[in-house]
Amino acid sequence: MVTGPVGAAAGGRTNGARGAISRRAVLCGLAAASGGAVAAFAAGERGPLRRIAALDYGLAETLLLLDVPPVAVVGARNWSRWVVEPALPPDVVDLGSSREPNLELLQQLRLDAILVTPFQAGIVHRLERIAPVLSFPIYVPGGRPLALAEAATVRLAMLSGRDDALGAVTARLEDVFSATRDRLHDERDRPLCLVSFMDGRHVRVYGANSLFQEVLDRVGLVNAYRGRTNFWGFATIGIEALEPVPDARLVYLDPVPAGVLQALATNPLWSRLPFVKAGAVMGLPPVLMFGALPSAMRFAALLGGTLVTEGSRRG
Amino acid sequence: MADGAAGPCRADGGWRAWSAAGLLIAALTLPAAALSVQALATSLRPSLWLAAVLAPDPADPVQLRVHFVTMPRIAASILCGAALALAGVIFQQVLRNPLAAPSTLGVSAGAKLALVSTTLWAPGLFVFGRETVALAGGGAALAVVLALTWRKSFAPVAVVLAGLVLGLYCGAAAAALVLFEEHTLVGLFIWGSGSLSLQGWAVVSTLATQLAVTAVLLVPILRPLSVLSLEEAGARSVGVSLHGTRLAALTLAVALTAFVVSGVGVIGFVGLVAPALARLAGARRLRDRLLLAPLLGAGLLWSTDQLVQRAGEAIGGLLPTGAVTALFGSPLLLWLLPRLRVAAPLPVVDPGTTPHRRRAEPLLVGLTIALVVAFVGSLLLGRTPSGAWALAGSDDLAALLPWRAPRALAALCAGAMLAAAGVILQRTTRNPMASPEVLGVGAGAALGLVVVVFAVAVAGHGLQLAGAAGGAFAVLGLIVLLGRRSGFGPERVLLAGIAIGALLDALVGVVTAGGDPRSLMILNWMSGSTYQVDGPQAAWCAGGAILLIGAVALCSRWLDLMPLGDPASAALGLDLARVRLILLGLAAGATAAATLLVGPLTFVGLTAPHLAVRLGLQRALSQLAGAVLAGALVMVTADWLGRMAAFPWQMPAGLIATLIGGPALIWLLARR
Repeated sequence: MVTGPVGAAAGGRTNGARGAISRRAVLCGLAAASGGAVAAFAAGERGPLRRIAALDYGLAETLLLLDVPPVAVVGARNWSRWVVEPALPPDVVDLGSSREPNLELLQQLRLDAILVTPFQAGIVHRLERIAPVLSFPIYVPGGRPLALAEAATVRLAMLSGRDDALGAVTARLEDVFSATRDRLHDERDRPLCLVSFMDGRHVRVYGANSLFQEVLDRVGLVNAYRGRTNFWGFATIGIEALEPVPDARLVYLDPVPAGVLQALATNPLWSRLPFVKAGAVMGLPPVLMFGALPSAMRFAALLGGTLVTEGSRRG
Repeated sequence: MADGAAGPCRADGGWRAWSAAGLLIAALTLPAAALSVQALATSLRPSLWLAAVLAPDPADPVQLRVHFVTMPRIAASILCGAALALAGVIFQQVLRNPLAAPSTLGVSAGAKLALVSTTLWAPGLFVFGRETVALAGGGAALAVVLALTWRKSFAPVAVVLAGLVLGLYCGAAAAALVLFEEHTLVGLFIWGSGSLSLQGWAVVSTLATQLAVTAVLLVPILRPLSVLSLEEAGARSVGVSLHGTRLAALTLAVALTAFVVSGVGVIGFVGLVAPALARLAGARRLRDRLLLAPLLGAGLLWSTDQLVQRAGEAIGGLLPTGAVTALFGSPLLLWLLPRLRVAAPLPVVDPGTTPHRRRAEPLLVGLTIALVVAFVGSLLLGRTPSGAWALAGSDDLAALLPWRAPRALAALCAGAMLAAAGVILQRTTRNPMASPEVLGVGAGAALGLVVVVFAVAVAGHGLQLAGAAGGAFAVLGLIVLLGRRSGFGPERVLLAGIAIGALLDALVGVVTAGGDPRSLMILNWMSGSTYQVDGPQAAWCAGGAILLIGAVALCSRWLDLMPLGDPASAALGLDLARVRLILLGLAAGATAAATLLVGPLTFVGLTAPHLAVRLGLQRALSQLAGAVLAGALVMVTADWLGRMAAFPWQMPAGLIATLIGGPALIWLLARR
């Protein structure tokens, strides 16, 4: 049972009309729109979902946000390196890779539901034998990950009987964004280039369709990279393709692959790029690039802290 | 491939060859030069070009870009193209195989494994630079190949086989690590696809020095190298030390490849295509090819890289030159096929070294028992959720069987079918390198899957299977179409298979270099996993496997005759074209069915037939039976290990089969 596409379509349309409508109204509208299907599901003899396996970091962190910790998560052992917060409770079962979550293990966990993304459509036929499979689109062609992550949060809250927590979650999201916006008021004219280093010569640069882009929009910052991106919201480019934008800063995400910073130190073009010459290069602790609301909040908070510290250091 | 003797050598032959070659070089370099000049002209006034190249104004970003980006990239493309083409000529000469290429000896795979393991376990070593680590890996791969073939005086067949196996082994090990640590290792995909994106002259100046030194070292071995194409006895009679010449030539060729690989990354195909083009242009003597091929290679890579840059600007993302070169190169090879006279037959295993025949029955009974034990064991023995080993009792078994049985059965069927396909291919082509992979069927299936996964946003299991099946059968059709013109001559079919395989590698290289998470799904599938197989699919394939292998068994008389050579087979009354069509059809059908179950990593199809022969099973029917049992045994074991060894993480069976089968094959081959 894959109810994902229905929810996605509803989410997409609702957000197309976004603008004048407030965030909260959108959330409530979404809740109402998906309420029918969700209620039908929840009204069965199963009751609210309790034992949930999340086959995606973004969905897992959303469950943690709603205080419904997942029973099992894919790649649990790498969580602390790529997601960091919210911290994963130690008793969460590691299911292996997101492409091949362990089926025998899933079977033995007596699950109420398995959460997947459209990315995993190829294995749904195996998972369906174990528990109902619910698909949540967040990163899809033409999608807006932050809006879709909000829709996923609403749907998960309804399914797990935590709709009472939605108000607090929404308020927290708005708080983080508005606090960051206020904090970065003096920084909003300086464009920002957001990258992950791939090696000494290439970066992954985040732009349109990324969770980070939507956060930048919400906190009033300008992205210096205006080039094309894939539907995950990034482009892989050579360092020479970073357009020199006047007064821009470069923020790179940790972790940086071994040896890259040394390689950059001897890269003659890199050392002549405007933001390097101006000393406007700063690192950001790890944030999940393909995440949901918790990652969006973590990114906003960390970015606010880093830019303000940097700004005060430069006087 | 005997130079000079291959055709009538008229007085004007050299001149004609050079004029044809000149045209070819001009056709490749003029567009490249035009594109380069145009790129310069759009950014900078011609009067400033010299200044920008020699001493750019540090305040002018455009001049800096020309100095640190545009010019090094042009220089690197020319140098890399020349180096790889030169390496290709040497490999083809030493290994006496027109299909030998810089990738044959596993240099790139060795370098990749070194980079992957250093990233994961010893990142501190990167203080010496990534280039050094890659170079060490490539050097280690060469050392292993040379050590394994030392006692055989680096005989071409032995070197090719050792290099092939080592390359597959290192590739599999690296792939397994990538599947565990994809986030950490995603940057290596760019290296693996050969991006020529440079930001300074360091890489170019190092490469130029290395290339110059290697070229000088090549001069003293030119004469002995040119007589290597004679039969061994002939070469010895003119007083050439085979051992020393081969050692020196292979080392230099590998060094050239390793320099490029460590400097910029993996660039395929130039080393295969440029020597072929040189030959096609009429360069018959080694000396001519050594001069001509590097020029062609340089022109080829330069023009490709210029086109890649234009296309990259248009799509706004990274297009890795190495992968795109192969993308262009593989259709070029397909076009070259009918024109390229494969002068020498592909290497033949010396029958004098095969082991004594043994009685087949006890061996086959033993293998059958081992297979049954492994199959039942793989159903019963597993891990509990806490990770402890446990033998499933009758209660648990009912719950566990739906997960274990389809995968074990799929692995068994796939191993058996691939082994049968391998027996057919090795016997009909008389080529010990032949494995189901060389047919290109698996690559076709993977291409179909790539198209489906990237074209359809939500591609379910059925759609993915349909894409893979469509790709596999498209290649089957292509084999029949291409093969009909050559009477299904095995060389042509293999060349076509290699071209299709290269096309797949190129496409996968392009999509993985960008870092799209979907490409990991493709890599996972290509590593040979039984994960997606469910009960009905496994049952269907078991039926198909029984039919196909039964049909192969009925052809065993043909399989006994084919290794005798075409004239002998024809004299014994075989209608060669028809027999080849049927045999290739069976091999391709079995490969296609197996690929749909476990993906295109068909190493077991190479190993199992050798295993059977080494065990003493010589006749076609007994070799077939032995190989089928051994292939099934290896795959069942590999699948079980993949499911349980790193529990709860799963490793694809194809990778494990390569990791088990590689050393086994090398040991068997070395044990003479």
